[in-house]
Amino acid sequence: MADTVSDHTNSTVLDVDAVRRDFPILSETVYGKPLVFLDSGASAQKPRQVIDAMRHCMEHQYSNVHRGAHYLSAATTDAFEQARDRVARFLNAASPDEIIFTSNVTAAINLVAHAYGRAFLKAGDEVIVSEMEHHANIVPWQLLAEATGVVLRVAPVEDDGSFRIERFAELLNDRTRLVSITHCSNVLGTNVPAKEVARLAHDAGAKVLFDGAQAVVHGPVDVQYIDADFYGFTAHKLYGPSGLGVLYGKLDILNSMPPFLGGGDMIDKVSFKGSTFKEAPHRFEAGTPAIVEAIGLHAAINYVADIGFDAIRAHEAGLRDYAHERLSAIDGMRLIGTAPDKAAIISFLVDGLHPYDVAAVLDRQGVACRVGHHCAEPLMDRLGIIGTVRATLAMYNTKAEIDVLGEAIEKAKKMLA
Amino acid sequence: MAREEYEDFAETLEALDDDMRFEFLLDLAKKQDATDFPEEWKTDANLMHGCMSKVWLVHEEKDGLHWFKGASEAAIVKGLVHMMVRSFSGLTSEEVREISLDDVRRLNLGALTFQRQVGMMAMLKQIQKLAGQPVARESAGA
Repeated sequence: MADTVSDHTNSTVLDVDAVRRDFPILSETVYGKPLVFLDSGASAQKPRQVIDAMRHCMEHQYSNVHRGAHYLSAATTDAFEQARDRVARFLNAASPDEIIFTSNVTAAINLVAHAYGRAFLKAGDEVIVSEMEHHANIVPWQLLAEATGVVLRVAPVEDDGSFRIERFAELLNDRTRLVSITHCSNVLGTNVPAKEVARLAHDAGAKVLFDGAQAVVHGPVDVQYIDADFYGFTAHKLYGPSGLGVLYGKLDILNSMPPFLGGGDMIDKVSFKGSTFKEAPHRFEAGTPAIVEAIGLHAAINYVADIGFDAIRAHEAGLRDYAHERLSAIDGMRLIGTAPDKAAIISFLVDGLHPYDVAAVLDRQGVACRVGHHCAEPLMDRLGIIGTVRATLAMYNTKAEIDVLGEAIEKAKKMLA
Repeated sequence: MAREEYEDFAETLEALDDDMRFEFLLDLAKKQDATDFPEEWKTDANLMHGCMSKVWLVHEEKDGLHWFKGASEAAIVKGLVHMMVRSFSGLTSEEVREISLDDVRRLNLGALTFQRQVGMMAMLKQIQKLAGQPVARESAGA
């Protein structure tokens, strides 16, 4: 992947046994069988470090932030803002003021669609997405299109799931105002060359937003290096808590945008004659934020950084290659998404079997996969399939677990034949 | 008649362990494959919405009794469809109306997940709707 920076590279080899010991849930059994958790792409499990940080906050420090005139509130506000600072460093943002806490990536994209889209886009302006978007990066733009007359254009995906930059470039023109595209497909694992997409979009006079929900988990992201205008990710896929997302935005753009949600914490002054608003990030954080979750995300980022993306990427690439090799050996196996250098997200179908049945048999073997359209129905239509079974491989997964997956698929074939 | 089939399904499921229930459902799916459900019945009008795999249900009323047939793409769901249509066919309007969510819960033992239980409840409601009867609710008859 091209979008790398050097300051995330701590260790080189991942000690998967040590990592697994950090995740209490991985020693659970289901149906009397060891849990093989291959659904981290939907939501990742949490290491003890995250759980402990959140518990510590609630047991010793918790209070509301930004308003209390007392010790706990000050301490919690410090911890909350340190989390923002940690996120800024994680993405290499120029300032923590560029980091807005949202509830998830969906909320982050909706924020941009409302606050940026309705303020700066007008009828006839074009927004480009791709065929492999999650619904979260389609529907907000459709709503914007209905409200404003903005036109949605769709960049194609190849049959093998790869993304060809020259086909994307063909869509750019002087009406293009925004490119909103996944950094890594949640179905195919395809990585989008973000720096190149941003350069081409900027050359056309457009802003660019990346949906980084999957990408931040599998490799380092440097928003200044790729020159993203907006970048969204979510804590719960990054081994942190659910209920918290992040929107990065360049500070001058954020401060040019009107608020999205109105309420407490985001105002400068309120009277019945009118209100004035704070600058970013607080302008976009109305109401009490996800406080404990931000502290959990801080711990999650520290955890990932301690292990290091060099080690994580090497480990996951090994798993991905092994999974492709192991599953390809199964008669009737069809891998969906085989783009070069893809992330360790393995979608597949077995000839003659409904993916729902395959996943149900896998479940009985203790193997947790996701099944369905993965909130990417247009991609399913493009590929001419009803859905897939998806195994996502995370830093805590092992080759032995891929063997269990392979055996479980073979069992499914026998049972369902 | 259908009540006997219903009791057979329910008692069989109760006697089996989880793994064997799963296999039992797959066996029912194979039986369902052998029943007649022409391709031309697989229309949008007969499709139940909101299911993870497609489910079609059709209804016929003959001599005051309601008869249902069903199909699905997925084997496990086929097994569930088989139990539902066999259990609740051949009933009078009043009998269809009186089917409760608890009746379906007894058949849900083989389904194992909440999501599939929701699917079976939806099938019951569709069966009652097709028969022109009010649909079962949590408070009524439960």
